[in-house]
Amino acid sequence: MNYVPGTASLIDDIDKKHLVLLRDGRTLIGYLRSIDQFANLVFHQTVERIHVGKKFGDIPRGIFIVRGENVVLLGEIDVDKPCDTVLQQVSIEEILEEQRQQQQTKQETEKVKMQVLKDRGLSIPKADNMDEY
Amino acid sequence: MFRFQSLDDDCTLEEEDDGLIEEEDEIDQFNDDTFGAGAIDDDWQEEHKRLAELDERVGLGGGEVEGEVDSGGSKPGSSIHRPSSSVNPPLQSSLPPFGFSSSSPGLPPQDADDRAREGGLAESLARLILEADPAIAGVGAAERPRPSPSSSASSLSVLHSLDQPRVLPQSSSIPHQRQPQLPPGPITSGLPSSSMLSYQQQQQLLRRGTAPMGQMNSHNIWDNSMSFGPVSVSPGLVTHMEDSPLMSIIKEGGLPKRPPQGRSDEGRDLSERVPPPRSSSPVIGSPPVRAVPIGTPPKQPMSHSLNHQIHHPTTVHVRAPVPHRYPAPFPERLSPNTLLNIANSPLCRGPFAPRVGPVLSHLQRAQLLNSQVAGFPRGGPAPLLPGGGFRPFFGGPPPPHGHRMCPPPPHGPPSHIPVRHNTTHLHPQHRRMLTQRMQSRGGDRGRTGGDRSSRDPYSNLMTQKEKEWVTKIQMMQLQSTDPYLDDYYYQNYYEKMEKRQDKERDISSNSKKEHATKLITPQVAKVEHTYRPVQFAGSLGKLTVSSVNNPRKMIDAVLTTRSDDEEKREKQVWNKRRQILYTVEKMYSLLLEVQDFEKRFVQTPEEEREALLEQHKTNTEQLSSSLMEKEWDHRVSDELCVMIMSVRKGKRLVARLLPFLPSSQAAAVVMAIARNLPALAKKDKQDQVLGWLVEPLSPVIQSLSSSALTDLLQELQGGEGQLAVVLQNKFGVTMLYLILSEGERMQSCDPNCQLMDDNRWTELVFSVTRELLSVPASSLSPPLFTPPNLLSLFSRYVDRQRLELLQDKLQISASSR
Repeated sequence: MNYVPGTASLIDDIDKKHLVLLRDGRTLIGYLRSIDQFANLVFHQTVERIHVGKKFGDIPRGIFIVRGENVVLLGEIDVDKPCDTVLQQVSIEEILEEQRQQQQTKQETEKVKMQVLKDRGLSIPKADNMDEY
Repeated sequence: MFRFQSLDDDCTLEEEDDGLIEEEDEIDQFNDDTFGAGAIDDDWQEEHKRLAELDERVGLGGGEVEGEVDSGGSKPGSSIHRPSSSVNPPLQSSLPPFGFSSSSPGLPPQDADDRAREGGLAESLARLILEADPAIAGVGAAERPRPSPSSSASSLSVLHSLDQPRVLPQSSSIPHQRQPQLPPGPITSGLPSSSMLSYQQQQQLLRRGTAPMGQMNSHNIWDNSMSFGPVSVSPGLVTHMEDSPLMSIIKEGGLPKRPPQGRSDEGRDLSERVPPPRSSSPVIGSPPVRAVPIGTPPKQPMSHSLNHQIHHPTTVHVRAPVPHRYPAPFPERLSPNTLLNIANSPLCRGPFAPRVGPVLSHLQRAQLLNSQVAGFPRGGPAPLLPGGGFRPFFGGPPPPHGHRMCPPPPHGPPSHIPVRHNTTHLHPQHRRMLTQRMQSRGGDRGRTGGDRSSRDPYSNLMTQKEKEWVTKIQMMQLQSTDPYLDDYYYQNYYEKMEKRQDKERDISSNSKKEHATKLITPQVAKVEHTYRPVQFAGSLGKLTVSSVNNPRKMIDAVLTTRSDDEEKREKQVWNKRRQILYTVEKMYSLLLEVQDFEKRFVQTPEEEREALLEQHKTNTEQLSSSLMEKEWDHRVSDELCVMIMSVRKGKRLVARLLPFLPSSQAAAVVMAIARNLPALAKKDKQDQVLGWLVEPLSPVIQSLSSSALTDLLQELQGGEGQLAVVLQNKFGVTMLYLILSEGERMQSCDPNCQLMDDNRWTELVFSVTRELLSVPASSLSPPLFTPPNLLSLFSRYVDRQRLELLQDKLQISASSR
């Protein structure tokens, strides 16, 4: 029960299935078991879901403790609603393979792009590096 | 109570024990001292006499008594707390002569046996020991716990007595090496139900038949303790360490010290989070350190914190604090660890059984809580996964024994019943809405949520207390000392809503209720949080102690405020405009204080209202005097006035200021404005904001007396050509009209008005009309609004022709607004 309407509180979300997107791009699905004032989250029966194209794969991870600052967004999953109608679930190995391929192609295109830019005298820093600073 | 017939058994048991000595050497020290070589130390008769309760044991045979007394006497210095002693079954039965003076001799032997077992070996032995020790006998006499029929209660009472810290003077010389090193084999062999009876108990049982399970339970405590290896010794308790079972138990338990240690352990655990003590004197240099940092989550009664003390992991049963944690009637909300202990203690749980861990895992805790919440004992461990499909981690659930053994708890508050937080800082309207919402949601949730939570075994891992704690932190962040400052829109929103509701209520009920002034909830008192480092008076320099709260200043610069004289001197140096702005700002802050006075007045408590009132008066005085001339009290300084009004903000200031000034001063201000209108008009050319003044001006003008009004008109006309300038300025025209209209109103409403007494007014009006007619229409600026009674005014003073001219020029007509 949210005691202060007009504020956001995670108390009502406890023990419900949630999907959380982390800053590093991971998607976790699990039962939210505990929170604290920094919105650090404790997930139970967590599953990391990797999406590649229309396929996805679930990697069971167990118990996760997520530091609050790394959460991008968090939302409750309706367990009654049918899910994954469009998406196709595949095995872990397959999805990891797909992911690896995806990363590879991305890297290659990036490399080509950088080369082309370099030829023209431009150098644009990679976006994912900037995240570090 | 113990029966005398049991003495017979004793004798045989003694023999048996002696016979067993050869078989198991290590475990017989205790026995040896009791019945063997070591038992002949003391004068049993002395001992006997000392024990007051022996008076009643009339019928004892000498030999038996001897034997018993021996056993009693063999432990003269036993200083173990009663329940902590491991019991030699033969001793148990030998207790009656020493034990219960109040025991009635007439009970059948069966009862005796049962009770003997039920009472707890420990209890009986402890009693014996304590009585043997003269130092304790007196103390112990009054407080002997009665063995109760229910085993769980007995174990509880035992635990209770564990709680009462007893200072035991001497260490025990009870040697009983057998028990700590009891191998599992002999224990588990030969007995159907219990798996961890001590050797002696085994013997006893063998002879007496298998005791019912429940009765065995009381021994479990000792069984566990007996299986322990050497553990950390509680200092100060035992002076010489013997490898006796009792000693081992002491070591294991450190019992009298356990409760405070338990707590200090928790305190210590939490205080680990406190920053380490500083090398420099902390007292002087910094504020007191909180033992428990503010961000600490609520304490759980952590039984495993005690584990740190005890090296052996499965010592859960001898938890001294456990009985503290729950009052005798089953409380609504038990901590899960407590629940576990309740659940497990009566059960037979072998120390060698494969254990997940002594601490109730969160899962168990949650399950127990679930059972508590759901209100029914849960049969199986397999949780039904809600919603299906989310299976990955259902690791081995713990055996369901905990659930069955839970005594039916009173229905604990389900998680969806909201707990009343402290809502005093909320607006009362807000609070009302809150309660409404809670009620409605509580109804909804009860239908759907409860069902779901009953299927999820992992729910309620976060206890209600923890939830409240998090909410409390969130609410703390909302507290404020000045709500109008911190959350202006929130306050206004709720005020508006209230007003709207009141209006609706009024409309619907058709009653014109007197608007009772609603007291807005008082806010949290402002607490001085600034930390001032300690300073010693008269010392040279400052303290060199620095801490996180008062870091050392690099430059110790002391600000000296400049006096007003210096300010005046620097006036010429400053940029004129900056000075103007500065003055305006100062006045503004005063003005804001004055304006907020009312709101603050309502909020302050009674005691402080006087002070606030005083302050308000000073403020207003200051405000009004700031505009005045230095020498003349009643005349507004033209210079100042023009100065202030030359800035847009200054004009705004004056406009806001006028309502708060006393009438005479307000009149003076208006006069000044009128007097200086040309200058003001000139300065306002760019901003064109003099219009702001119209609104506050009109009530002032309307409150003027007739002579003052005349004066005002005169001022307005002022010197040569002033009126022309006035007429060119929109504001000027408006002001003129206001004055004229006021005059007209005075004349028409009040026949006794003195406006006509001297000719000034008439003359002034004449000149005005002359000017109005002569001024070209183009230069006459339209006023902000035209008062309706101008026509009637002019009709008094001018002839028809001129009237018509005026009408055209000024576009005033009978129906004009």
